Amino acid sequence: MTFRWDAIQEYMPFFISGAYYTIEYTVICIILATLLGLFLGLGRLSKNPFIQGFVKMYVSFFRGTPLLVQILLFHFAVLPAFFGGKSPGAFISGIVAVTLNYAAYSSEVFRAGIQSIDRGQWEAARSLGMTQSQMMRYVVLPQAFRRMLPPLGNEAIALLKDTSLLAVIAGGELTYNARAMAGSTLLVWEPYITLAVFYYILTFLLARVVAFLERRFGTA
Amino acid sequence: MKTWKSLMLASTLAAGLTFVAAGCAPKSAAPGGDSAQSGNQKEYVVGTDASYAPFESVDSKTQQVVGFDIDVVKAIAEKEGMKVKFVNTPWDGIFAALNNGERDFLVSAITITDERKKTMDFSDKYFEATQMIVSKDGSVKTLNDLKGKKIGVQNGTTGDTIVTDFLGKDYKGIKRYDSMPLALEALKNGDVDVAVGDNGVVIDYVKNNKADNLHTAIDPKFPKEYYGLAVKKGNTELLNKLNDGIKKINEDGTYKKIYDKYFGQQ
Repeated sequence: MTFRWDAIQEYMPFFISGAYYTIEYTVICIILATLLGLFLGLGRLSKNPFIQGFVKMYVSFFRGTPLLVQILLFHFAVLPAFFGGKSPGAFISGIVAVTLNYAAYSSEVFRAGIQSIDRGQWEAARSLGMTQSQMMRYVVLPQAFRRMLPPLGNEAIALLKDTSLLAVIAGGELTYNARAMAGSTLLVWEPYITLAVFYYILTFLLARVVAFLERRFGTA
Repeated sequence: MKTWKSLMLASTLAAGLTFVAAGCAPKSAAPGGDSAQSGNQKEYVVGTDASYAPFESVDSKTQQVVGFDIDVVKAIAEKEGMKVKFVNTPWDGIFAALNNGERDFLVSAITITDERKKTMDFSDKYFEATQMIVSKDGSVKTLNDLKGKKIGVQNGTTGDTIVTDFLGKDYKGIKRYDSMPLALEALKNGDVDVAVGDNGVVIDYVKNNKADNLHTAIDPKFPKEYYGLAVKKGNTELLNKLNDGIKKINEDGTYKKIYDKYFGQQ
């Protein structure tokens, strides 16, 4: 069994372009999913039973079905239905599916984080005459955010790895390109080992970013 | 009390689901290990990627693998007195499973190519195929027309190879999918402008999806291809058996019967 370095070299441009897409998916989805997750988390704590009920249903759907199924569903059925039977392309479908899925997970992180802030803080803020939204903005969220950083960091790393599922809709990321290499060369070791190394480097870098944010903003 | 009730309900549901799932577990889904020695007759484990109708697919009623390829191998096995067991194996790992001995041989509409001959042995050909171009409006007829278009293919298939060789490895418009139906689905929803795949599969798909009104074309420049059974390199004993079987079913008309059943004029 010879290990074909030349094949890896030959397909390196595939991996480079795949890495670029993987990073792109990851960055865009983390930003969108965090924002959407924050709103969902607040909605989950809303006093309005309709908003609360909607968020509960939303979270239960996205946590109760596999992401792979959601990707196929959005790409081949849901989004074409919105775009008059035409697909908006794998890139858009991928971002939509991964974002909606991870927003559901991070909304629970936000909910728990907000609920973990001591009642005394709310009472103190109220006695200063703050409105509900001022309390959230100046007192509760800044404190909750610190506590939420570690679990959100975990979500981010999981999201990076889950972008690999976009290979099934020809998403153009790392896994898709490694499989294209495997498909045309009939090699298995070379493409998949290279793939693992690429993912490891990316998750390592992302973990460093998360660690930096924790040092900078986290609970001391 | 209330929580107790919902717990009961949940566990009943879960138990029920497990039971149902166990009840309809397909027999063919058992993970195939090394060839089992049952009694004194060796059972050959045959790998096939059953997502390639009409050559091989999973029958919705019986959960068994069925198709043209399957019938051919069954006929060969009958002639040679072999026991065979078909195990659904995704294309991605199908050649790896042959190499590490998990499968004894493969039947999966596998085109005999020089590249593949380096890593495995092939039986004599049992089917002649050609590539087909599928489009929505029939405007794409030749390999040359593919330039500048987005093309859907099944990852690692001959269609993939031909298009990649023609347009270059760095051509960004080739989208490689897990299966041909997925590539054709991508054609329908506009992800790609054309799809390229084996004629047998394409004809079958177009026939079963008449409402989509897909157009097919064959470029005479497309090379003829031949499907063969793949055996681990150096397993001449099995190879000779299979070749003998192929010869026999060709001679006594069994092959023609099977061929007409799937591709004959109706």
